[in-house]
Amino acid sequence: MAAPTSTSASSSSKRHSILPSVSQAGPKPPVQFSSSITIADSALLTGSHMIVVGSESVIHPRARLDSSGGRITIGRRCIVHERSIVGGNAATVTLSPSRGSKTSDMLLSPLPSSAGVTLADYVLVDVGAVIEAGDTVVGEGTTVGVGARVCAGAVVGKHCTLTPHTVVAAGDVVPDFTVIYSKGLRRRDLRGVPELRNKGQARQIEVLRRMIPSNPGKFSS
Amino acid sequence: MAPLTPYTFFQCPCSEPSTLGQPADRSSGAGAGAEPDADDEDRAFDPRAPRSNYSLYPLEYLLYCEDCQQIRCPRCVAEEIVTFYCPCCLFEVPSSNLKSEGNRCTRSCFQCPVCIGPLTTTSLESHPDPSLLAAPDNSAVPHSGPYMLTCSYCNWSSTEIGIKFDKSNGIHAQLAKLRNGGTTRLTAKEHKERRKDLLQGGGPSTRTAEAAVDGRDLDVDTQFANLKAFYQNQLADSSSGGNGLSSLGDLGFASPNSLSRIMSIYTGGNLHDKRSKSRIGVMREALDSDEGLKIANLDESEAVEKLQEEGYDATVSTEQMSNQTPNLGEAPLHGRGRFTSELRPVPYLLRTKRSKRCPICRHIISKPEAKVQATRFRIRLVAGSYIPSITIRPLNTPEANPGAPSDTLQPLKPVQFLLTFKNPIFEAVKVTLATPAKTPGRFASKVTVLCPQFEIDANTDVWDEALKDGDKDKRRRRGEDGPHQAEAGKIWERGRNWVSLVIEVVPASLRLDLLALTSPAGGHEVDTGPLREDEDLLEIPMFVRVEWEADAVGDEIGSAPNKDKEGREKRELAYWCVLGLGRVSQS
Repeated sequence: MAAPTSTSASSSSKRHSILPSVSQAGPKPPVQFSSSITIADSALLTGSHMIVVGSESVIHPRARLDSSGGRITIGRRCIVHERSIVGGNAATVTLSPSRGSKTSDMLLSPLPSSAGVTLADYVLVDVGAVIEAGDTVVGEGTTVGVGARVCAGAVVGKHCTLTPHTVVAAGDVVPDFTVIYSKGLRRRDLRGVPELRNKGQARQIEVLRRMIPSNPGKFSS
Repeated sequence: MAPLTPYTFFQCPCSEPSTLGQPADRSSGAGAGAEPDADDEDRAFDPRAPRSNYSLYPLEYLLYCEDCQQIRCPRCVAEEIVTFYCPCCLFEVPSSNLKSEGNRCTRSCFQCPVCIGPLTTTSLESHPDPSLLAAPDNSAVPHSGPYMLTCSYCNWSSTEIGIKFDKSNGIHAQLAKLRNGGTTRLTAKEHKERRKDLLQGGGPSTRTAEAAVDGRDLDVDTQFANLKAFYQNQLADSSSGGNGLSSLGDLGFASPNSLSRIMSIYTGGNLHDKRSKSRIGVMREALDSDEGLKIANLDESEAVEKLQEEGYDATVSTEQMSNQTPNLGEAPLHGRGRFTSELRPVPYLLRTKRSKRCPICRHIISKPEAKVQATRFRIRLVAGSYIPSITIRPLNTPEANPGAPSDTLQPLKPVQFLLTFKNPIFEAVKVTLATPAKTPGRFASKVTVLCPQFEIDANTDVWDEALKDGDKDKRRRRGEDGPHQAEAGKIWERGRNWVSLVIEVVPASLRLDLLALTSPAGGHEVDTGPLREDEDLLEIPMFVRVEWEADAVGDEIGSAPNKDKEGREKRELAYWCVLGLGRVSQS
């Protein structure tokens, strides 16, 4: 069950990972990567539509990009954390809340739209977040918090903050500079410092590029 | 519906006055209602009675007094406060500070008014981002410059109400001097000093200037101080108009001068009265803001406009409003903020560490450590280490039909449950159980305990048990011959310090039409109303009596130290408990 992380077994100073090994199942999607992206080896890319990743973006290990519901476009300097699902169909995600099961009835047929998920520049998709496919747009500089869920068709504005485990309902429009907190409460973020946050994200990306070994060649066929 | 997890509640003896003191003599049974005491003791404990709701607790909530050898519950223990501390900075606050400064933290700990998350002090110069944990070129955050409070959850900051701080500590004091919007306000002390300066130095011109400044926005504190000073002056003036006996103006209404004046009004008047009346100073009310008068601003058109502009979401919710401390900088009532843009940060409420005492013998039952960071207890006598704990699980015999849903109990079908009694003390205990044959309430289920009397071994060390492994194998599963069957009078299984036995239950049928047929013929009316809340819950009251032998504690100091077997005394403890097994399905 242990998956060795390095090939040299004798002089390996790395610990053997006890996590289950990542299996790449499903169709291999056509990809269009910029030259400067960092994509981990154990990222999961499935689907039939195109996946576009902008320059200097980081895809963490075990992040899932599923383009079966439509084309995935990730902007520049985005970070997609582990165990997050970008582009999942509501029916394919097992841990959907009761509200999500209603939308899954609607989305059982494959969507005709070509744009599944669009993430603008400087978007942060945190651990375990789910962004469903179906013309979903996440604006520039938005933070999708840990375990948050953006349902299909939602349009999230620029520089928004979705605090952990919040849900944006399907088709909802979230104006710019909104903070969604607690159980769906919203307020306007009046800090007025989006550039600082973007600068911080750029610095984080620099560090992540050194820490995550990138293997874009594995996914480009 | 989700299946109900079986639970056990224990009854604290504090709810039954007969168990607390000496058993009352039969003749004085009229005190507790019409029932004589004999009936009171015979009546089984009814867990559905409204009163029993206040005496039933799970085992984790109960404490035990070693002197009284009795269970104590959170309702009957007497609490004493050990320390007061702030939950945010963990600073211990002496109780003298509490009387002067109030029950909130007076350092820099604040809660966000919008989302009650903790606020952090950040510098305004460069706004540090919390996601910058691994930034290599961490440019040094300037430690000077104005500071503000920010919430890392909902992104609220104190700049939304226009408040900035010069120093990063002592924010409570700085906040008391600031109004929303950044303008300063004077505290009560400073007002007094100003008044003193005015009396000494200034003329009427400076006085009116002061009044003009204060009149615009007279806040609660200032108004109170002004009004109090004004009334004190008035009292001094009016009472100094009396006879020369009391020339001290600060005697107030209870002074002998005022009393004589009031009495003279009632006893009728003549020339003497008129003279005294003329000498009585008439007290007047405050005339301007300097004396404490504040005219209510009843024009709320500004607030209405703002509401129309920003919508319902910009108004304060009930919780947010109740969390706010009185804002001494704003006018009361009509100046109270009703919009989220007027919310001020909330200082943290102080918490306490308490020690609990038995109400009867004053023995300390629970005492935490006085040091705030330590979460241990110096003394902790919990019931879980003295009385046997009971766990329940359903017993699925092979003949039970596999298709039955396990959510609810089927009416009129016998069901078996396995009760496991675990003994926490270091002595072997003998347990006697008693349950009424039918559960109390409208729908009576039949209960049978297959083994009402049994013994549980002492809670010895695991190592002792392992070393004596030879004969222990035979002792396990005592009561099993061939297939594991529930037999009356025999326990199900036995272990090192636990015993499990079977209880058989036939749940009652919840059909109201059968209720009239099955009720005992007695002449009293049968209640055929609809099913009330929790009437389908199957709860069994059980009387548990635990007996064990303990070393006798010699009370006399000069007793001979003979610790042979005759020194052991028999101890017993008896209490009611309630076993909640599940819900009966209504079909």
